Amino acid sequence: MGDEKIDKTIMVELSNTFKDAVSEVDVPSLNRAVARIEPGKVKEIMQFLLDKGFDHLSCISGIDYPPDKMEVVYHVTSYSAPLVITLKASIPRDDPNIDSLCGIYWNANWYERETYELYGIKFTDCPYMKVLLLIEEMEGEWPLRKDYAGYPDLT
Amino acid sequence: MTHEDTQITSPPKPSEILLHLGPQHPLQPGPFVLDLKIEGETIREAELHIGYIHKGMEKVFEDRTYLQILPLTDRICYLASNSNNDVYCRGVEELLGIEPTDRAMYLRVLTNELCRLQSHLLGIGEFTTDVGFLTMFIYMVREREGIVSLLEAITGSRLNHNYARFGGVANDLPPGYKEMALKILGDVKKQIKSHDAMMSSDSIYCRRTKGVGVLTAKEASELGVAGPPLRATGVEYDLRRMEPYLVYDDLDFKVITQTEGDVFARVKVRFLEMLESIYIIEQCLDQMPSGPYKQDVTPYITRPKPGEVYSRIEDPRGEMGMYIISDGSDKPYRFRIRGPAFATSQALPPLLLGGYVADVAAIAASMDSCTSEVDR
Repeated sequence: MGDEKIDKTIMVELSNTFKDAVSEVDVPSLNRAVARIEPGKVKEIMQFLLDKGFDHLSCISGIDYPPDKMEVVYHVTSYSAPLVITLKASIPRDDPNIDSLCGIYWNANWYERETYELYGIKFTDCPYMKVLLLIEEMEGEWPLRKDYAGYPDLT
Repeated sequence: MTHEDTQITSPPKPSEILLHLGPQHPLQPGPFVLDLKIEGETIREAELHIGYIHKGMEKVFEDRTYLQILPLTDRICYLASNSNNDVYCRGVEELLGIEPTDRAMYLRVLTNELCRLQSHLLGIGEFTTDVGFLTMFIYMVREREGIVSLLEAITGSRLNHNYARFGGVANDLPPGYKEMALKILGDVKKQIKSHDAMMSSDSIYCRRTKGVGVLTAKEASELGVAGPPLRATGVEYDLRRMEPYLVYDDLDFKVITQTEGDVFARVKVRFLEMLESIYIIEQCLDQMPSGPYKQDVTPYITRPKPGEVYSRIEDPRGEMGMYIISDGSDKPYRFRIRGPAFATSQALPPLLLGGYVADVAAIAASMDSCTSEVDR
C-alpha cells in the first residue's frame, strides 16, 4: 500500500531545497514530521510537497500566542502514504497575513475561511473569502483569539 | 475544479431562478442552506452555507480539563461518538506517554466497528428515504437497533457512549456477551446481504443512482474527500490499513473499493464495509486477550508535558483528526478538530453542477454528511 518514495527523507530534501525557509525539523514518531517554515515561502513549499506526492491537505488551523505572535499550521499528507507533515508558519499578531493556498490545494478554501473568521488571519489572494461558520455580524470579533471577551448578549 | 464551482457568482438571469434548500428540511441530516441557481431542471451554480449549529467546540475545549473534554467529544457527532472518544484518547495517551492495555485495544476496536455499523445503517437508511424508498429506512433502523443494543450492553448508553478512557476503557464486556453478539451479528449480516441484493436488483433504484453524481478518483483527491466517497472511486485509502492504529495490524479485513464513483457505488461501499466490520468484530471476540481493561489509576487531573500531537482515525465517514497542543497545564492550549464531513460537504457543490434538481437529495445523502460535525 505505502508508496516507497514517500517517507521521511522528504524532510531532508525539503530542508535542503529551502535552506533559509525551513527550520526546526523534527520527526517525533513513525508517521509524523514537524517543521517550521517562513510564511513568505509557504506557496513554494506546498507546491514542492504536492509535486513530491503530498496530494492531500488535511487541515489548516490557526493558533494564537499573545502578545505578539500567531501561527498558521498546515497538515499535509498523501493518499498513498501515512506520513503527516505538520508545517508551522509564524506571523505577527498585529498584521496577520499569509499567502492563500487555494491555487495549489482546492480544498484549502474552507479551512482558510474558517481560520480567517476565527482568528482574523488574512489569506492574500484567496479567491473566495467570506465568513463560513459564524454570522456575518461577528466578522471582526475573532473569537478563537485568547483575549476574546465574549460576544455581547443582545437579547 | 475552480473555486467558482462552490459559489453563486451572479444574480439569476431571467431564465434562471435561485432555489434555497434549507435550513430546515425533512431530508437534511441537520440545518444548512444549499442555494441552487437553476435553469429549468438543470443546476447551474450551487453554494453551501453552514454554521447554523456552530457550537464553538474548539474554544470550549480550551477551557476544560482533559477528562472533561472526553464526554464532549461524543457530541461532535453522535453517530461517530466511539471513534471520536478513541481518537481523542489516543492523542492524549501519546502526550502522556502511556499505552492502553491489550484488552482495552481490542475493546476499542470492537466498539469502533460497532459504531461504524450503526452509522452506516442509519446513513443508508436516511439515503433511501431521500431517494423515496422509505421502507428501507424502517428495515435499516430495525437492524441498527440490534447493533445499538450491543453497544448499550458494553457502554451503558445508546447514543453518546463515552467509553474510552486514557489508557483503557470504562467497562469490561458483560457476561455472555460473545454469544449475544454472535447471534445478533449473524442476523444483521443476513439482513444486510438481503437488503443489498434487494436494492441492487431494483431497476428504479438503479436508475436513480447509477451514473448520478459521478466523482472520478482524480477529482475526489483534488477535492480532498476521504472515507466511503473516496473509496467508491477506487482509491484504497483507509487509515486502518494505511496507518494501523490499535490492533488493526493483527486483524484480517479487506479495504472495500468500487470503481464507478457514483451514488450507487458510494452506497455499495457502505454495504460491503458493514460486512467487513462484522468480520472484524467476530475476530475481536475470538482473539480478545484476558487481562485488565484499564490502567490501575486513571488520574482525575492530567497534565501532559508541553508538546503537540495529531492523531487520526478512520471514522465511519472518513478521516477524523485531532490536533492537540499542550502547554503543560491541565487544559489543552489549542484543540483542532479536523472532521471528515467538513471535507465532504465542501466537495458537494461541484458535484451538483450540471445535474438535475431531482438528484440533489440523492447526491447529498450519498455523501453521508453530518451537520453537527461540520459546524462543530
